[in-house]
Amino acid sequence: MSLLEIHGLSVRFGGLSAVSRVDFEVEAGSLVALIGPNGAGKTTAFNVVTGVYAPSDGSVVFAGREIGGAAPHAISALGIARTFQNIRLFRSLSALENVRAALQGARRSGLRDVLRLARWRAREEAAGREARVLLDELALGEFASARADSLPYGEQRRLEIARALATRPKLLLLDEPAAGMNPAEKQALRELIRRLRADHGLTIVLIDHDVSFVMNLCDRVVVLDHGEKIADGPPDRVRRDPHVIEAYLGSDATVAP
Amino acid sequence: MRVRSLLAVGALLAFLALLDLAAPRVLNPYYVTILSRIGIAVIAAASLQLVNGFTGQFSIGHAGFMAIGAYASAALSVYAGAAALDAASQIVPLTAARWLYFPVLLVFGGLVAAVSGIVVAVPALRLRGDYLAIATLGAGEIIRIAILNIDAVGGARGFSLASSAHPGIDLRYESLAGVFGVAALTVATLARLVYAGGGLAFRAVREDEIAAESIGIATTRVKIEAFLVASFFAGVAGALFAHSEGYIHTNSFGFVRSFELVAFVVLGGLGSLTGAILAAATLTALPELLRGLGEWRMILYSLLLIATMLLRPQGLLGQRELWPISLLSRGTK
Repeated sequence: MSLLEIHGLSVRFGGLSAVSRVDFEVEAGSLVALIGPNGAGKTTAFNVVTGVYAPSDGSVVFAGREIGGAAPHAISALGIARTFQNIRLFRSLSALENVRAALQGARRSGLRDVLRLARWRAREEAAGREARVLLDELALGEFASARADSLPYGEQRRLEIARALATRPKLLLLDEPAAGMNPAEKQALRELIRRLRADHGLTIVLIDHDVSFVMNLCDRVVVLDHGEKIADGPPDRVRRDPHVIEAYLGSDATVAP
Repeated sequence: MRVRSLLAVGALLAFLALLDLAAPRVLNPYYVTILSRIGIAVIAAASLQLVNGFTGQFSIGHAGFMAIGAYASAALSVYAGAAALDAASQIVPLTAARWLYFPVLLVFGGLVAAVSGIVVAVPALRLRGDYLAIATLGAGEIIRIAILNIDAVGGARGFSLASSAHPGIDLRYESLAGVFGVAALTVATLARLVYAGGGLAFRAVREDEIAAESIGIATTRVKIEAFLVASFFAGVAGALFAHSEGYIHTNSFGFVRSFELVAFVVLGGLGSLTGAILAAATLTALPELLRGLGEWRMILYSLLLIATMLLRPQGLLGQRELWPISLLSRGTK
């Protein structure tokens, strides 16, 4: 069964068509890569799925429900979480607070925060523990009380993932998680993504620039170019697809065997 | 824990009672008035801090909500409160009746201001940054000018709390205990609201709205909540102001007053309740302390503001809190 179904999706900004008539589906439990050159419409597709933009045309169905045009916080409550290409942490809050904000997101308590009865205290403590478990899971335990913007780059990327996981998502969207990483860090990230997928029963869609990072990680690769889908299939087949080679390297190129 | 909080509350109450008994004897009325204005400024500044410092929405029309609280509560007192107190004094001693009426007038002023806060917030919060600031400034002025044209509350003559129908009933409250008790309650409420797991939503909205939405925070609702709570307490501050002064005029609630409140929160440190309290107290007392300088007074005051902003652009405390609020702020870390 498909967890996410995108049909005939178009996004236009004035005269510019960022995504046009794109279809793809994401099976529950799968790990799909969305790749393409700069400006292909990858992040725009994420922004539509998470409600930042409304689709100009077409539909986005998540777990059997149309979510195109819904508010981002409502989509988050349905079980879609994301990270951002340009890291968007709550910079002046601590790492722990970043995660706790996500645990608390959907359930604000107002008056109960003011009265602070025994039940409230128990709930706060449980939330604190849960946040710490998530930080430890992403090897961020030692940074718990450090300001988010004081963390090293790689740790900031992982903190974004921890914050996304705190919303207990079914579908996790990772926007260029490997950006700015060296090969060793990329390898560690691949391990992490595999582990999180297994431990949390996640369906994951991740964006990257090139096929090599996602080759032995993803089940399927969807390739966008100039806002249109040009290929969709298993990584090794997509890599040989002439449309993909053309998009990346130009029309005369061939792939080394 | 429970015992300790009870002790703290008891100590505070004892201090307030002592303040009320001793202050009028020891201090001359001029100092009592300044202390009372400090307490009121603290309430207004702490509440504005919720919107500007913690939620990151720049409102510069806060005095408008003080005006609503002041005029609504004053109207309640003159048109209903005086009669009610007169009737109640047949059954209980007048002093007791007056103290029972005190929370009523404060809550009434706060609620009317809160309703107007929502009326302003719902359309205005569609705007961001400078545009929101200008919209709140405009809203504040609209409120002031609207009140100026209501004859039932005195219009341009100002509104006096002396009730002609019930001359024996004094509607003024010259109580430092009242002012500082309410200020303590306000600050405690705001600190508990902000420094709790749920309060992280306010700060998340300040830090990054898109990221806040992405983790399920309904940012518009959070902003409206902040505005609602802030305008409630601004209304309470206004009600206190009206009933301690005994006479109010819309001139006290113009944009100069709004800017003064913004100066308190910025100078104290955006995102610090203690900072707002310190700045409100200092900057309310300072012009009075500088009175000896005559016409140079406001020049020195302005120079001090400029110097502080140059030396500490993040404000006196930045986002830090001092004891006892720091006990709460460390809780969510």
